[in-house]
This record gives sequence, structure tokens and C-alpha cells, in this order.
Amino acid sequence: MKPPKFRYFAPKSVGEALALLAEYAGEARILAGGQSLVPLMNMRLVHPDVLIDINGISELSFIEAVNGGIAIGALTRDAILAGDTTLSEGWSVLREAAHFVGHPAIRNRSTVGGSIAHADPAAELPAVMVALNAEFVARSRSDSRTIAAQDFFKGYLTTDLNDGEMLTEVRIPGLPPRSGSAFVEFARREGDYALAGVAAVMTLGEDGTIADARLGLCSVGPAPVRPLNAEALLRGQRPGNEAWDAAATAVVSILNEPLSDIHGSAGYRRHLAGVLTKQALAVATERAERGQ
Amino acid sequence: MQGPIMQEEDFVTIRLSVNGEIHRLVVEPRRLLADVLRDDLGYTGTNLGCEHGACGSCTVLVDGQSVRSCLMFAVQANGHEVMTVEGLAQSGEMHPLQQAFWEKQGLQCGFCTPGFLMTAYELLQHNPNPGEEEIREALSGNICRCTGYQHIIEAVQSAAQSMAESARVPSGTGV
Amino acid sequence: MTTTTKGYTWIGKDIKRREDPDLLTGRVEYTNDVKLPGMLHAAVLRSPYAHARVVSIDTSAAQKLPGVHAVLTGSEATEVIDPVPAFCAEPVVERAIAVDKVRYAGEAVVAVAAESRYIAEDALELVQIEWEPLPPLIDVLEAMKPDAPKVHENLPSNVVYEHVFPFGDVDGDFAKADHIIKRRLRWPRATAAPMEPAGAVCKYDPASGRMDVWSNTNMLNFVGWLIASTLKLPPHMVNFYPMYTGGSFGSKHVASKVVAIAGALSKVTGRPVKFMEDRIDNLVANDAQAADRIYDAELAVTKEGKFLSLRLHAIDDYGAYFVFAITGNTNMMSQISGPYTINSLETGIKAVLTNKNQQGVFRGAGSDVGNWVLERLVDATSEELGIDGIELRRRNFIQPNQFPYKMPTGNVYDSGNYPAVLDLALQHADLAHWREEQARARQQGRYIGIGLATCQQRSTYSATEFWFHNPGPSTGLTTTAESVRIGIGPTGGITVTMFSPFWGNSPETVVTQVVGEEFGVDPSTVSVAYDSTDHGLPGAGPGGSRMTVMLSGAVRGAAMKVKEKMSKIAAHLLEASVEDMEVREGRVWVKGTDRSLGIADIGFKAYWFKFDLPAGMESGLEGSFTYDHPFTTAPSEDRKDLGVFYPIMGHAAHIPIVEVDINTGQVTFLKYLAVHDVGTVVNPRSLQGQIRGGIAQGIGVALYEEVRYSPDGQNLTATMNDYLVPTIAEVPNIEIYHHETPSPYTAYGVKGGGEGGRMVAPPSVTSAVEDALKPFGIKIDEMPITPEKIVKWVSQAQTQST
Repeated sequence: MKPPKFRYFAPKSVGEALALLAEYAGEARILAGGQSLVPLMNMRLVHPDVLIDINGISELSFIEAVNGGIAIGALTRDAILAGDTTLSEGWSVLREAAHFVGHPAIRNRSTVGGSIAHADPAAELPAVMVALNAEFVARSRSDSRTIAAQDFFKGYLTTDLNDGEMLTEVRIPGLPPRSGSAFVEFARREGDYALAGVAAVMTLGEDGTIADARLGLCSVGPAPVRPLNAEALLRGQRPGNEAWDAAATAVVSILNEPLSDIHGSAGYRRHLAGVLTKQALAVATERAERGQ
Repeated sequence: MQGPIMQEEDFVTIRLSVNGEIHRLVVEPRRLLADVLRDDLGYTGTNLGCEHGACGSCTVLVDGQSVRSCLMFAVQANGHEVMTVEGLAQSGEMHPLQQAFWEKQGLQCGFCTPGFLMTAYELLQHNPNPGEEEIREALSGNICRCTGYQHIIEAVQSAAQSMAESARVPSGTGV
Repeated sequence: MTTTTKGYTWIGKDIKRREDPDLLTGRVEYTNDVKLPGMLHAAVLRSPYAHARVVSIDTSAAQKLPGVHAVLTGSEATEVIDPVPAFCAEPVVERAIAVDKVRYAGEAVVAVAAESRYIAEDALELVQIEWEPLPPLIDVLEAMKPDAPKVHENLPSNVVYEHVFPFGDVDGDFAKADHIIKRRLRWPRATAAPMEPAGAVCKYDPASGRMDVWSNTNMLNFVGWLIASTLKLPPHMVNFYPMYTGGSFGSKHVASKVVAIAGALSKVTGRPVKFMEDRIDNLVANDAQAADRIYDAELAVTKEGKFLSLRLHAIDDYGAYFVFAITGNTNMMSQISGPYTINSLETGIKAVLTNKNQQGVFRGAGSDVGNWVLERLVDATSEELGIDGIELRRRNFIQPNQFPYKMPTGNVYDSGNYPAVLDLALQHADLAHWREEQARARQQGRYIGIGLATCQQRSTYSATEFWFHNPGPSTGLTTTAESVRIGIGPTGGITVTMFSPFWGNSPETVVTQVVGEEFGVDPSTVSVAYDSTDHGLPGAGPGGSRMTVMLSGAVRGAAMKVKEKMSKIAAHLLEASVEDMEVREGRVWVKGTDRSLGIADIGFKAYWFKFDLPAGMESGLEGSFTYDHPFTTAPSEDRKDLGVFYPIMGHAAHIPIVEVDINTGQVTFLKYLAVHDVGTVVNPRSLQGQIRGGIAQGIGVALYEEVRYSPDGQNLTATMNDYLVPTIAEVPNIEIYHHETPSPYTAYGVKGGGEGGRMVAPPSVTSAVEDALKPFGIKIDEMPITPEKIVKWVSQAQTQST
């Protein structure tokens, strides 16, 4: 299982990388963590003519507090995000999701931007970004634009990125006070692709009712699912099993395109989505109640 | 489906530090770090179990971090420091991890063992006193088909203990 | 855990393994580490179709690629290689590279040798093949039908073997029964998936017509000569080196395909050629897949729960070829009645060919299946008759005074004490506490289950099991030996040479411990070597849990020869009589005196001082011994008695305790206890390692592992992400206790214990999960018991009860 030939470039700056992307548009792939791309190449399922290795562009690796929210450089390793103790507890969902990515050696290389740009339906971070109302900065040699997470994921391994565009940054708006978040997933073995995963972000009002609830699911469709119907149901409710049950039922009802493979049928994934939605909401609420 | 025709300039010259020794090589960009280590440099201790990142047998350290050498191109390691299992023993003396694996029989066929040693080495660098759950989590990406893992856990615990003990004993008794 | 050392110095000691320092420092040479000058690398193009005719192959572009030295289609390869060896009597022909027709997705159709594996794979992408797809036979019940398309056109149907073996008065015993317990049971197709795939480096020398082979294949001095005939070379011109092997679990017994491919390319290029399976090659095409069975099973019992008779009828999906014949079914007949006094039994086997990779043998070799089927029947009996499972087993155990015990098929159990093993397990299981926990958990809507299995774990197979399923008077191989050579040098250094490969078991440690015991020396002073088949002595190699038994016997035999010569020399030099000499503590003593000579002294004389040796004695000091199977007999001509073929019989009791989350279907272990009796234990820690590793694989098949094919025959579990072997997170710590009932037939009373973990875990885990789900009335008759299945069964049960 050896990869096919390619031309290799290792730009030192974003500008250089974008110039190369423009020159080789259509033939080139970005090499970031490589933990998804290289297996595909070793199995000869993809044959990129050109690889642009961005691992040397240190300016793309950062986690910064910005305007109450966070900005994360696309090259930030999942291991860094998973272990970041500077992020407040409200951002648990980010740490937890990053922690579920594969295994330690995988996380040492895999990147936040890579996970988002690759858009594997089972990937955790896309679901989290959708729940957090994140925005992605996509740059090309001539242009720069921000894309909302809910507009970014188009389908199976398909995103809104054009040839010649590269993800450079993820921007996540701040969370209101009395917020808590959680990510839960179920997999066959530790570190396997999730059969279903749920990101939950809970904001409580001063009276203890749900001011806002946001959910993002992975592995239950070709793209991450944001169940607005469930979120609408939750707003104004008292937190508790009754609310979680209703939300879970609402989530399951809109999952009409879940994945199905030997590890989990569509029906089972729907079932898990319901179970995990309740769990995620409960944990996120408990954290919101604890306060940061 | 054939790739672009290779030109001379499509080979890349790299400087790779492996176990403290610097090597200068000219490689095709597509050569995996695992293959360059094994075939070009003779570090055959690192083994190939799957070549798609799932089994952990090929794990080495790059700049002190565990990576799947089957998922990294050698050119990416240019200018970086690689550590393989051959770098664990010093002056013919096995590293405490190797000693502990020997004491506790943390191996049978040995094929996955270098990968486990490098991953455990990284764990103990960051967490010198890991509990059983932490050990299990750190090693969950290394597959062993022989041992059932329990002796491996015991070996890591034993190594942690002996490394902590030698850290407590000051080397040399300078005044 | 404790073992009794019975007055041995080294046997029974937890010494560190001899093999480990080289393994730990990355010094060992596995097959893929072999590097020879001029060596080329091979890659193989595999069929995308499960069943198809090869209409045409155009390799011209591949041949022209710079760096490519040879491209062989199956037809072209027939010039240099013949079909691979097969143990079957039926005319099922397999070639390492398919000719004209492919019979499973992943079958090799073209092989390339190039300067690097990278270039070889580039070349494969340039090969053009025109296919005529044929209907794939994937459902074994469909493939069985008389009018089904044939996997092999030369056979009358896809049912390649069919026979019912009756032993004793089955009908009579069933007529006497008060109850017949019936189950339909499904054992899934699993695969060994060792961390190291199979591979070979072949170096053909056209000048001498010799070939050297470095391969992790086995049975080198047993049926290795069969691979030579595949290579179209006289066996004594092919020299196999026993290699350090990264696990096998039965998958590398006769790795003829990889050797044939490397060998063919070496003959054609005149260069050494390496062919290593990559992981996909290994999962789709290695002969590692095993039993894929549907059982109709019946146990005839009295109302007190006495087991009278057993009927087991299996349909076994053998895949596209049949190289091991029905070894996976005959093996089972060694212990098919378990540890119980079952009077008679009938076992029917229908072996069906389909368009899947063929079966090999995987740790347990079919006896793992037999244990599971029998214990499912025992659990079902317990449930249907309302008799506690522990009590039921006690009522039926063969008692300690009944050994050697001849069971219905004719095999003998050498020794055992099943009640004592169970008692030891119960002593540590604290079942009262766990039953309380279980009751409390149920109140909280949580489900804890306590499992139990008491099973046999045979060791040391006889070659008769390869052929006694064929009707008499036909016979086959009757030798199943293992040899070692002990040499002592002029300074007294002891070297033991073995002729079979290391599989991850501990052959070096075992032989040094036994040599240590025999000569009274520290095992760490003994040197160990391996030698190739040019110097080979008979030996079947690892497998069937035989190596500890066979190596102990071989070392003891060789040691006796060497000690005899040493005694003669010492007696001569000390002017004593030979009968008065004894070897202990590394010296030869005149019994009852303090007069002795050290091994070094004797070696010194033996090599350099001929004048000081007894008249007529050859110089030198060495002994080789071929230890034959200690107890095997021929099957009867009518096959109503299969003879003794697996008498060195171990036993184990496992008690796992699980919690099942009925929301997700997840199974978590709360405790796992195992008691193993494998006779005298040579190295306790090493045995525990084997038990734990075996249990991990048993948990694998019970909960995670299954080779899956799509309806059109695509292998859906062709990567390690899809074929799920347990990681460290899925395998609990195992509490192990030992019981020792020595064998009367082996050196030191040892028995083999390498397979037992995998042979006992599946029924015990199934039993635990079923116990957890008892409130729902769920009966488990298949594996792997996946979370999805558990959720489905619970949901069905809840629907039915409302």
C-alpha cells in the first residue's frame, strides 16, 4: 500500500501556499495532518498530482481569544485543542470533540482545519462548528471570504471551498453567560469513527429555563446535522428528562439520510442519535448550571 | 492514472536526524517515513502492520511526539528529530521501559512492541505517574494481537515507578 | 496465582523470556526486514470480482514501466509454479495466481517484480484486464443448492464434502431422553489478523537450481516440501529459514501463496524477490479466515439434567478453495463432548464452497466452535429444565478417577480434574456478591450478567486429523514430530538448535528452561539457535498448542543422549561405572560421593583429548532427538473410532461479569476470572500471557470480529478500521488461577495452553450477556454480539411483551 507519485511543495507562508494553489488549481491537495489524506493515498483511492505541505506555516497555528469568542488557526493540531487548558469550561465541547479524534498519535498531527475541509461525515469538529455558529475564513491568492459553518458542509466529503481556496482560520462567536457545552459520541471501539455524535451548547436564562440550545450531530448524514426543530422545542423549557426526551424525538424525526454501513445501520444510528442527544443536553446543562 | 513523470528536481534532499544521528538523503517525496527509516537507513525496528494508521505498529517520535510513520512522508521530517525504538537503549543498556516490558512479559511476538514502547515513552514524558485508565487511553491506538494488553499495562506502570525512583536518586553526589 | 513446582528447579519458574531483549530493541529480523543484494519487490493485482472469467490481460504497459523487471499473469506463472499444496482429497485446485477464472474478490491475477514496492504498485495500475463477471455465490444456503452455479466447474456441486459421523447408539440414547434441547446456532467467520502479514523472500539460483526462502510460513520440516513442489523444485533443493514471525494464530501454517509468488518471480528474474502481503492483501486473501458455520444442535437429556447424547449438524462455508480440507471440523471431534460424560454423539458436516476467501485455521481450529455450541446447549438445558448451571455441569463432569477417558469419537482425554477447576473458579468469583449486585442493578434499570463456561482445550494434534474424515482404508500422514539438537562445546557451552519458527510463543525460553532442568544449569547460560531445512530434522512447528509439549519432549530426549555420553566420559575419567553416574547442578557425579566433573571439563576432553575418551568413542558432544507424538493411534477403517489424535487435554473455567447498557447496546466487563489447567506449567507468566491474549481474541469474536462480504462478494472488512480487533480499551484485566493436573504421557507432565483463552472466552462471554438480558427473555445464538443487535433484541422483546 504505497502512495502514487506527486510533486511536492513546502511553502513557508500563507501567500506562498495560495500562489501554489492558484498555479496548480484542480491538481493539488493541501497536506496538513495527513491522517485522512495519506491513508487514501496509500490505498491509491486518490492520486493528487501535487501536494502542498502547509505544516511549515507556523502562522496558521494558534488559539486566541477574540471579542469574547475564539479564533483557531487551521493548522492547530487536534492534540493542542484537546489539551488546551486556557479555554474556559464553556468551551468543553471543543476539547471533548478534539479528544475523540482517533488516538494520541493521530491527534498529534491531525488539524482543526483539515478535519473541517475534509468533511468526513463521521468527523466530530464539523458538527461542533455547526452547533457553535462558527465561521471559516477561506483565502485564495486573490480573495478572502468568510463562510458560515451551516453553509460550508455540502455533503459527503464536499464543502463550499473552491479550487484554489484554503481554509486559514476558524472563528467562533462568544458564548453568553450561563452557558455550558458537551460532546458525546458512541463508537464500536475506543477511537473508532463515531456511529453517532452530538455536540450540545446550552445557555440558561436567569430563571433557570433554557434560553438557547444548539445541537450539532455527526455520523447521521452525509453532512453534519443542525436540528433546528429540536432547538426550537427546547427554548423556554425547564431543563430535565421531559425536555430531553422531546428534543431527542425531534432530532430523530429529521434524520432521514443517516449513514448505513457494517458498523451501524441507519436505524441504529438514529436510535443512538436520540440516546446521545439526551446525554449531551444533560451534561451541557449541568455545566451551564455550575457556571464558569 | 499514472502520475507526472519524475524529473531530477522532483527528488528532494532532506536532512533527517534519527536517534541523534544526522542523515542526508535524496528521496522521492512519496516515500513514507517508515520506509525511509527501514529501507534507506536500516532502522528496521519500526514495523508496518497496516499502512493506514490504524494499528500503531509504525509509531515513532518526531520532535518528541508520537506519529504514525506510515502516514508521514519522509520529506515532511526534513529538519526534524526522529526517535525510533533503536534510540531507546543507551550505551547498550535497555531503557527502563524496555526493562519493564521484559520483566512483565509485555510482549510475545514483538511486532507491535516498538510502537507501544514509543507511545509509552511519550506518555511518561508528559505524565510520569499515569493511572491505569490513563495508560489505557494513551495506548488505545496501538493494537496488539498477542498479549491481551494486561502485561503491557503492568510494564508501563513498573517503568513509571522505576523511572521515578531513579529521578529521585541524584546522579553523582556533588557537593 | 500459584503453581506447584514439584521439586523442579527451573520448570515452573517465571524466568524472563529469552526472546525478549532482541525483540525489545528492534534487532529481530522479521521477513520484511530481510534485505538481499539485488532484491526486487513484488506486488499483486487482485480481482475486483468475486466470481469472473478472465477474458484477457494486457500487461504491456506495466512491463515497460522503468524499474519493472517482470510481470506474470496466472497463465504465464504456470511455467514456473504449480498449484499450491492442498490437504484435501477432493480435486479442488488453487493457484497462487489465478488462471482463467477468479473465485473470490481479492484473488491474485497478476504479480509484478520491480525495484521497489512503490514502482510495483505503479505497474499494477497500468495492467488492463477484460472480465466476464459470473454470478457470485455468497449465501451459503444458495450455494448449496444442486442447481447453483459452480465455484469449481470440475466438481459435481458446491457441496465439496458431506458426511455424518455416528459414534455410539445415538438414536437409542435420544429415544431414552426426557427432553431434547434444540438450538440453531451461528458462528461467524473471523480472521486471525496477526500484526505481521504473511510474506516471503525467495532467492533462486539458476546456476545450482537451488532456492533459499526466508518466509514466515511454518511446518518447514513437515510439509514444507509440498511448497517445493509448487515451486517445481526438488524439496531438498529448497532451503527454508525459520523466521521470527509476528504472530500467526494458525494463519501462516502453509503460506504457500506468498512463497509461490515470490518464488515464481525470482525464477523469472534471476534475482531475489520479496513479496510481503500488505494489510489489505492479508485481510482479503490470506488463509486466515476460519469457521463460518450454521449448526442445528440437539442435546438429549434426562429430567435430572444428565446429558445422554449429542447431535450436531453443521453447514460450513469454506470459501473458494479447500486446502486444509475439513481440518476445522475434524479438530473439533477431539473434544466435542466437552468435559462431560456424554454417551454417544453424531456430527454431520456439510462443507460448501462459495466465492469468498477460503478457510484456514484460526486458534482453536474448530474446537473453539465446538466449545461454544456445546456450552450454548448446556446453558439452554439449564434454562429449560430450571437447573442451576453450576449444578448441571457438576452432574455431568467426567470425574477425576475416570482418566484416561475415552470419549465417544475415540479420542482420549489424558487427565483432568474438572470439579476442582470449577471449585477454584467459584472460590474466587464471589458469586453471592455479584448476584446481589445484579439484583440491585436491575432495580435501577441496569443489567449485569454473570457468565460461566467450562470447556476443554486440547493440545498436541496428530496428523491423523488431516485425513480420517476420508473413508477407510485410505490413510495419510501419521508422523507429527518435533526435533531439537543439543550441542555442548569444548568449554561446556550448551547450544540448543530448533528447526521450527518462533510465532510469539516462547520456544527459546521453554527449551532453555528444560535444558536448565535436565543439566542443572542456569537457563540464561544456554545458547539458542535456529537452523534451516538444509539441516532440518522432522518437526511440524507451532500450532495446536503443541510446542511446549513437543519441545520439552525433544529436549528431554536429546538431553538424555548427551547426558549418556557425558556419563560415559566421566565414568571413564573418574574410573567409576556408568550406572553410578548422575547429572545435576551442571556436573556429572559419582552418586553418593563428592567426585564429579563439570560440563566444561567433559566438553574439553570430548573435543580435544581423544586419547582420554573411552575406546571406540567418537569425539564431540552432541545429541539430536526427534520426539514423536507421545500418544496417537490409527482410526478404525469404518471410522466409528477415530483413534487417539489429541489426548493431551487441558481444561478451563471462565467466569466473566458484564454490564450491558440497553440504550446503546454497549457491553462492559466488570470482572473476568479464568482458571486454566494445562498440566505442569513451565513458565507461569508466559502461559498467562497466552491465556490473556487468547481471551482477547475470544472477546473479539464474541463482541467485535466478523469478516463481512457484500451480497456481490466484496470483502467489507478489508482494513483494520473495519475488521475490529479489540484494543486495550476493550480487553479487561483477567484474574488467572492455575490448576495443574499433569499429563501421564508427556515430559514433565506438561500440556499445551496456547489456544485455551480463545477457546473458552466466546461461550463464557455469550453466557454473561445472555444472563444480563435474562429479564427480556433473550436467547443468544449468534456472534458477534454487537451493540446494534442488543438494542434490536431488547426492542423486539419489549414490543412482544406489550
